Amino acid sequence: MFFHIILERNMQLHPRYFGRNLRENLAAKLMKDVEGTCSGRHGFVVAITGIENIGKGLIRDGTGFVTFPVKYQCVVFRPFKGEILEAVVTMVNKMGFFAEAGPVQIFVSNHLIPDDMEFQSGDMPNYTTSDGSVKIQKDCEVRLKIIGTRVDATEIFCIGTIKDDFLGVINDPATV
Amino acid sequence: MSLQADSPVHSSSSDDFAAYLDAELDSKSSESSPKSREEEVDEEEEEEEEEEEEKVAQVELCDLESKRIKRFKAEISENLEDPEGSTSHRALELNLEASSSKEACTHPGSFGDMCIVCGQRLNEESGVTFGYIHKGLRLGNDEIVRLRNTDMKNLLRHRKLYLVLDLDHTLLNSTLLIHITSEEEYLKSQTDSFEDVSKGSLFMLDSMPMMTKLRPFVRTFLKEASKMFEMYIYTMGDRPYALEMAKLLDPKKEYFSAKVISRDDGTQRHQKGLDVVLGQESAVLILDDTENAWTKHKDNLILMERYHFFGSSCRQFGFNCKSLSELKSDESDSDGALASVLKVLTRIHHMFFDELTTNLEARDVRQVLKTVRKDVLKGCKIVFSRVFPTQFQADNHYLWRMAENLGAICSKELDSSVTHVVSTDAGTEKSRWALKNEKFLVHPQWIEAANFLWEKQPEHKFSVNQTKKE
Ligand SMILES: [Mg+2]
Ligand SMILES: [Zn+2]
Repeated sequence: MFFHIILERNMQLHPRYFGRNLRENLAAKLMKDVEGTCSGRHGFVVAITGIENIGKGLIRDGTGFVTFPVKYQCVVFRPFKGEILEAVVTMVNKMGFFAEAGPVQIFVSNHLIPDDMEFQSGDMPNYTTSDGSVKIQKDCEVRLKIIGTRVDATEIFCIGTIKDDFLGVINDPATV
Repeated sequence: MSLQADSPVHSSSSDDFAAYLDAELDSKSSESSPKSREEEVDEEEEEEEEEEEEKVAQVELCDLESKRIKRFKAEISENLEDPEGSTSHRALELNLEASSSKEACTHPGSFGDMCIVCGQRLNEESGVTFGYIHKGLRLGNDEIVRLRNTDMKNLLRHRKLYLVLDLDHTLLNSTLLIHITSEEEYLKSQTDSFEDVSKGSLFMLDSMPMMTKLRPFVRTFLKEASKMFEMYIYTMGDRPYALEMAKLLDPKKEYFSAKVISRDDGTQRHQKGLDVVLGQESAVLILDDTENAWTKHKDNLILMERYHFFGSSCRQFGFNCKSLSELKSDESDSDGALASVLKVLTRIHHMFFDELTTNLEARDVRQVLKTVRKDVLKGCKIVFSRVFPTQFQADNHYLWRMAENLGAICSKELDSSVTHVVSTDAGTEKSRWALKNEKFLVHPQWIEAANFLWEKQPEHKFSVNQTKKE
């Protein structure tokens, strides 16, 4: 799920960045430091949308670095247990399949794939219903339910299931 | 100075720098500065979920194509508006948990330390890591057995078996650029382009300072073998190297996708094991030039003659002769090691599926391999002369065993039924007996060549020189 929230961070800046562009420099550094990172609480920081407030700087002894408390608005993405998510299948094998939703890595084990879908090996491994009408293979989009999440410093892992109503393939590029 | 030690990165809220300085200098007692966000963030996940709603007070739900998950969204946004939202959110979580764990889960495996079936966080690391398939994936032993069983049925239905392939000296030969000799310098101008990898055979890698030569016939080999086998790469090299080689051998990712095993994936140091291969041992064949890597799986192994293209490779194995590259030569394409082993694989595959009459699932490719091997020197009766050290127990010698595995009968006594005398010296008594009685007198390499090439070799190519008179 996406959230638009305000976060705070203490930014250390080298004195060479001081001057009339201080604000811009802070903002640029903030984007570089924060976008694309994960935290257990907020999930993945997708983009910074604005700077709310920059507090007064504190000079660090000896180095001349200054620390500014910066409040900023950003869009974060974080999956929750029970959430329904759409994801792109990245790999299919006999254990199940892996899918990605942005930075989130999801595994759907074959225990959690409907029993009427069977694994087919070959150059394009897939799970297919007995009548062949539904096929899960690399690059197709699936709708799945998250049953477990773990958010690391750089990655988000999820366990997903498609063994429920209205879950499964929503778009197969091979048939479009 | 306390100022430095207390690391003002965690800014205090005092806004005036002077005041801050004063305060710091006056009271050496370092007041605990407010905890930084960074620190809080790492705390337990369980707590986070409750607090989420307060933090995200002014949340907007961006971009959720709403219709599909209306109900869920409704519940969540309710939470978000509700200052005591945490409670109802909690309830929702609990419900989900309750519904998914009606029966006790055996936690058959994990992904990112969460059970692949119930999603529960698992603290204990158990089972085997399958990092070569996907980062963070582990499977318990029961699950591996289950997967092997279902996969086996699937595979047999497609008339396929498993084939595990070594890289170095089996499918290719690599050298570090710094080990390229002056006689090999010419190669640098002959490397193939990465534009169409599938047409090249000599590559200078850009990601690592290496040059790699693919073994002649390897592309045909892989293409043909893939029709009969599900193939894995298994190398003692590290993962980046293994993946780089897989790109050269399989640029279209037709054969080895998520089936490249490197030493980073093995469960034992300096050993290769079939425990990380998701195939039943009775259906696996292995091609490797290093027998010692497979101590537990010798019956699955087809030993390959080493492919030494580069000089550094020859010297690494103690050969002082010129390498193929230094001689500007190469192994035969149509008649080399890979071509002959492909014939063997085809034969084994045919026997397994078309000649055996037992129940398909009871068949064992290791038995078939043994049978095929026993045909190579069938009908030969061999006597060794001055091949083994005097005190050596002859039937323990590897050549003796090799000859027997190839179907020959080995004997210590000369009689008229003997067909071959194997010796390095034509002057021994037994050698002279062979010549006198019109038996074949061959060098021990005759046996080794037959072993590698899976065919009895013409004896005249392995004649023995008379070195000294006895
Ligand atoms: Mg090797
Ligand atoms: Zn479980």
